[in-house]
Amino acid sequence: MGEGLEQLSHVSDRAGVGAGMIPRWVAPCVVVAFAFVMYASGGFVGDYASRVMLDTGIMMIAAVSLTIVNGFTGQFSIGHAAFMAIGGYVSGWLTYYGLLATLGRTTDLGAEHGWLLLPAAIIGGLAAAGAGWLVGLPSLRLRGDYLAIVTLGFGEILRVLLQQTDRQRFSSQEMSEVGLLGLIVPPDVGGASGFESIPKLTNLAWVYLMVGAVILFAIRLKYSSYGRAMLAIREDEIAAESMGVNVTRMKVRAFMFAAFFAGVAGTLYAHQPGTLLRPADAGYARSFDIVIMVVMGGLGSISGATLAAIVVSLLNVGLLELADYGAMKWRMPIFALLLILIMIFRPQGLFGLREIWDFFRSRDRTGGGR
Amino acid sequence: MSLLEVKNLGISFGGLRAVQDFSLSIPPGGLFGLIGPNGAGKTTVFNLLTGVYAPSDGTIELAGRSLVGLRPFQIAEAGLSRTFQNIRLFPDLTVLENLKIAMHLRGRHTLAGTILRSGHFRATEADQTRRAMELLSIFDLTDRADAYARNLPYGDQRRLEILRAMATQPRLILLDEPAAGMNPAEKLALAESIRRIRTDFGLTVLLIEHDMTLVMDVCERITVLDYGQIIAVGEPAAIQKNPKVIEAYLGEVANER
Ligand SMILES: Nc1ncnc2c1ncn2[C@@H]1O[C@H](COP(=O)(O)OP(=O)(O)O)[C@@H](O)[C@H]1O
Ligand SMILES: [Mg+2]
Repeated sequence: MGEGLEQLSHVSDRAGVGAGMIPRWVAPCVVVAFAFVMYASGGFVGDYASRVMLDTGIMMIAAVSLTIVNGFTGQFSIGHAAFMAIGGYVSGWLTYYGLLATLGRTTDLGAEHGWLLLPAAIIGGLAAAGAGWLVGLPSLRLRGDYLAIVTLGFGEILRVLLQQTDRQRFSSQEMSEVGLLGLIVPPDVGGASGFESIPKLTNLAWVYLMVGAVILFAIRLKYSSYGRAMLAIREDEIAAESMGVNVTRMKVRAFMFAAFFAGVAGTLYAHQPGTLLRPADAGYARSFDIVIMVVMGGLGSISGATLAAIVVSLLNVGLLELADYGAMKWRMPIFALLLILIMIFRPQGLFGLREIWDFFRSRDRTGGGR
Repeated sequence: MSLLEVKNLGISFGGLRAVQDFSLSIPPGGLFGLIGPNGAGKTTVFNLLTGVYAPSDGTIELAGRSLVGLRPFQIAEAGLSRTFQNIRLFPDLTVLENLKIAMHLRGRHTLAGTILRSGHFRATEADQTRRAMELLSIFDLTDRADAYARNLPYGDQRRLEILRAMATQPRLILLDEPAAGMNPAEKLALAESIRRIRTDFGLTVLLIEHDMTLVMDVCERITVLDYGQIIAVGEPAAIQKNPKVIEAYLGEVANER
């Protein structure tokens, strides 16, 4: 017992877990990166570069949020884009018709409307989380990989449903003709031809603020009683339940958290300058990209997913650059090959469950591990 | 009054009656044993008691409260915890995290408290770390707190599983062949630890053990299962001489040959 208490002093400096788990140099790095992005949003980088940074940031949010389900609880969701689409369509509907009704226009907005993105993102996130609850509850009750099938199916159903929506209204006069109920059932979000002219509220500052928020959320979750209960499910579901973890509840919660941030990412995507929101945005092609990022980064590694999101996004940009030489048709084969190579040589992903900074610790302290 | 009261418990898998008419009564502070040849149904009894399987008949009461129909996490909450015959640690998490997960049910936080790192959150985390280190000191494992569970030697993994079960703060703890794979010296040390756990932590223990000597050594009272049915109940000395028990174990030796 005495020896145990002696050891306590060495552990208690880490007792506040979370903060203590992460070395001191991480936070300054994050702040410097954030400051750079803020600076960039002031026109330091060109339109093209800032566009790439917007896209990358949105994918980072999507990848980190999916990590909570696929990485923490070990379930396999492959329909994350569907929750992005729900967030995007719901928030886009609100800001578009809201501004059309009050201002009479949705473009050429001044900076004074910038704050609208925050409530839009929260509502988009909540809508997606609600959908996550509906989709997740029946399948997460069961043991086994039902979630993959259900989420894939959900994305495809949503895509088809979105194609059946009504055409978009472009003036407040048209709006009053159909009335509020007419705008809602079925929603007038443009059907197969897409939803356009959504207010351009997204900028680099908002995107990277949300990136910071989701990373902070995920890290603090991971190093907490709450998050450990989720990790336990991934490690051994039967043992977790026997040790007092309400497995179904934790799975559903993880799924809703992930859906919430997917909804936020979708909101940012929808309000990006020049976005045409299309039903295909809910489909599997986009979901597949996000799954690749999470698997590549290492199921459960937040920093890994973040890094993989950057790599995959930049790879996409590179291929797009080479589109004239027919590079786009190589996109799927390249990603598939990448995934296969990872599965063969590093099945746990680049970082496994670990974070980048875990690799800077002495082996002695962590006792090795993968 | 007894802490655990099991009456006429039974379960079938398809046509197989894996456990039939199983009854057991353990007083608070008791250290009881459950033995029997391989495949007798011992682990199945544990799975019934902890809600992994739903019994087809019978009743289970812990301190007067029925456990039938509760899910495993609710049974853990009620004060019954266990280890697994085939070790089921959380391999990719650290020793400390393994223990803290088992403390989850007694120290939960709101989501807001977790994300904002509230004072209550930090206090609970620190308290859990302290208690985990105390538990680790029972088996001299404090210096392995940061090791990943998968990297522990086999014997330490078994010990960690016992500690993890204790971390749920149970009243009754079920140990499924905790000495499996240990050498005689380790078994002796384990027997000593089990006795200590009982006295120091006021726990009641039900022990499954394939190895007769260990059970005879530590248990006050033993129930013997064969083919899912109780063939003998009594004190170690009497069990050792019971012809039915000897026959069941001899039969096993014959089968193995
Ligand atoms: N889930 C199950 N499905 C079918 N048969 C099972 C199941 N669990 C246990 N059994 C059977 O029940 C019997 C008792 O097994 P078990 O309780 O593991 O024995 P013991 O722990 O005494 O060695 C065995 O014949 C085993 O095959
Ligand atoms: Mg067994």
